[in-house]
Amino acid sequence: MRIQHYLLFAFLLLLVACSRNTGGQDLADVQVDLSINPDPPAMGASVVTVTLEDLSNVPIEGATVELEGNMNHAGMAPVFSEANETSPGRYEADLDFTMGGDWFMIVRAQLSDGRTLERQIDIGNVRSS
Amino acid sequence: MSGSSSSKESLVVPLQPVTPPSRGPGFDVLDLPILGRFLRWRHARMSLQIPLFIIAVIMIWDGLTGSQLAPKNLATTITWVHYRGLLILGLLVAGNLFCMACPFMLPRNLARRFFQPTRMLPRYLRNKWAALVILGLFFFLYELFDLWATPWWTAWVIVIYFAAALAIDSLFKGAPFCKYICPLGQFNFASSLVSPLEVKVRDPQICHSCRTKDCIKGNDRVNGCELWLFQERKVGNMDCTFCLDCIHACPHDNVGISARIPGSELLTNSFRSGIGWFSRRLDMSVLMIIFTFGALINAFGMVSPVYALQAWMAEVFNTQNEAPILGSIFFFGLVIEPLILLTVAGVVTQRWAGQSDSLLTIITRYAYALVPLGFGVWVAHYLFHFLIGFWTFVPLTQSLLAEFGITVLGTPRWELGPLAPEGFLNPVEWGFIGLGCFGSLLIAYQIARRDAPQHPWRAFLPWAVLVLLLTIVGFWLMALPMEMRGTSFG
Repeated sequence: MRIQHYLLFAFLLLLVACSRNTGGQDLADVQVDLSINPDPPAMGASVVTVTLEDLSNVPIEGATVELEGNMNHAGMAPVFSEANETSPGRYEADLDFTMGGDWFMIVRAQLSDGRTLERQIDIGNVRSS
Repeated sequence: MSGSSSSKESLVVPLQPVTPPSRGPGFDVLDLPILGRFLRWRHARMSLQIPLFIIAVIMIWDGLTGSQLAPKNLATTITWVHYRGLLILGLLVAGNLFCMACPFMLPRNLARRFFQPTRMLPRYLRNKWAALVILGLFFFLYELFDLWATPWWTAWVIVIYFAAALAIDSLFKGAPFCKYICPLGQFNFASSLVSPLEVKVRDPQICHSCRTKDCIKGNDRVNGCELWLFQERKVGNMDCTFCLDCIHACPHDNVGISARIPGSELLTNSFRSGIGWFSRRLDMSVLMIIFTFGALINAFGMVSPVYALQAWMAEVFNTQNEAPILGSIFFFGLVIEPLILLTVAGVVTQRWAGQSDSLLTIITRYAYALVPLGFGVWVAHYLFHFLIGFWTFVPLTQSLLAEFGITVLGTPRWELGPLAPEGFLNPVEWGFIGLGCFGSLLIAYQIARRDAPQHPWRAFLPWAVLVLLLTIVGFWLMALPMEMRGTSFG
């Protein structure tokens, strides 16, 4: 093994070691459930319902919930929406799926106790028609 | 290989180069005031490679350590949206610009300052077969592992490229990685056959009187062509990385970057330095076939029918393992389908036009006619992603800088995305496929005229039908709504 190969290997190790904190914090004691109307999801305007509950299935009221929809393919602008609480622990938002394919939703919530939550939920198979 | 009398004539090694006999009034990039002067500068290539090298290092770093959500990572966004779009645009409007600025060559060039390889690549590897296998495998793995959706693996692909270029070119003389291994290079070589610029001799008479041949041998300042393309006998862009070495080495300033009719070199069946005859290179011909059918199968992987097909195959094969299903689709699309279609076209040409050439010879010659169509489909596909996601690099850069407390570019504007309205994309896609179809028909007809002068139309029509059939498939694929998938199956 030549010196260049050692240097390259060391460089790669350094890269891997430099892991960054790039995501928001999740909360293990909060259950997040997500449903989409229409079901199965399709391209175009949709209503996304987020349900927040604690581990005893008690609805979590009074949270501020934001949604960010992304395609899992790079190069597509995300779509954002703010959800309104329609009943205790149940939050609804209008969201426009701009293309068919695989999406993931980032649910961001600020709970009434001041804690924040960020959770990623995969939404596969959004139909194009 | 057997050949008809007309074909034999066209295979004679030209004693005179095929370039015009004297310096004509044609456009030469090197004559441009600023750009020309820059390209003549000995360190022009390195000055283009360094920025791309830095970007590549940032992409590797972000891919390995950053967010693993593809739209939020520079590795995936730059690689699969911007790099591919700019690559294809460069090939469309100029030439093999990415190979010119290839960052993978920078560590390799640095390493060669300290030691020089002494061995040649084994003779049995001096062809395109290894690169073809890697290219086909790459198309398959790209779909299987959803490379567009995984920053980690995208970063490793870049790392593997650097390592492979360094390792292979450290062991063997010349530029064997570029010429015989690099799948991306082969893609660029095939595409550049229809590019409008070409590195070529300005005045062949000067070459005749040249005794030093620095363009191939090099001198104490500059290397000669490491891909073994001797300018005096070089024809077209195949295997040319636009590295500029020949331009810098020529003591007579007799190598330029000239304008030409895109695809015109596909009509030439003369001996090519460093390559031989196109018509005798089965490996090269298969490269053109993989390039063309790969364009269609790659686009097919992003529309809804492929998912229905996968679901159906999963049921038939009674498996949820994607590899054998996707492998079967790729094997059919890249091997079986071309084999059937080209064999049918070849047999009809052979019998109907009364050509005495073997079937393999006929297929080998006409396969080059598919390149413009293949290129058209690649342009349509890559431009779609490029135009729809062009501005996504802005919020990613803002976000990356903000991570280090640099807010001079403001808060990330995630809503940025398309460069062009969506309604604009379909006409652009269809336009490029249509142009590619026209180019392929034109070249197929010219090959028919050259190889079957008695019955050119009979020789041409089977290939015209094949080109039109593939064009219809291309139009159909582009007309379907794009469904960008990455994780789900079925």
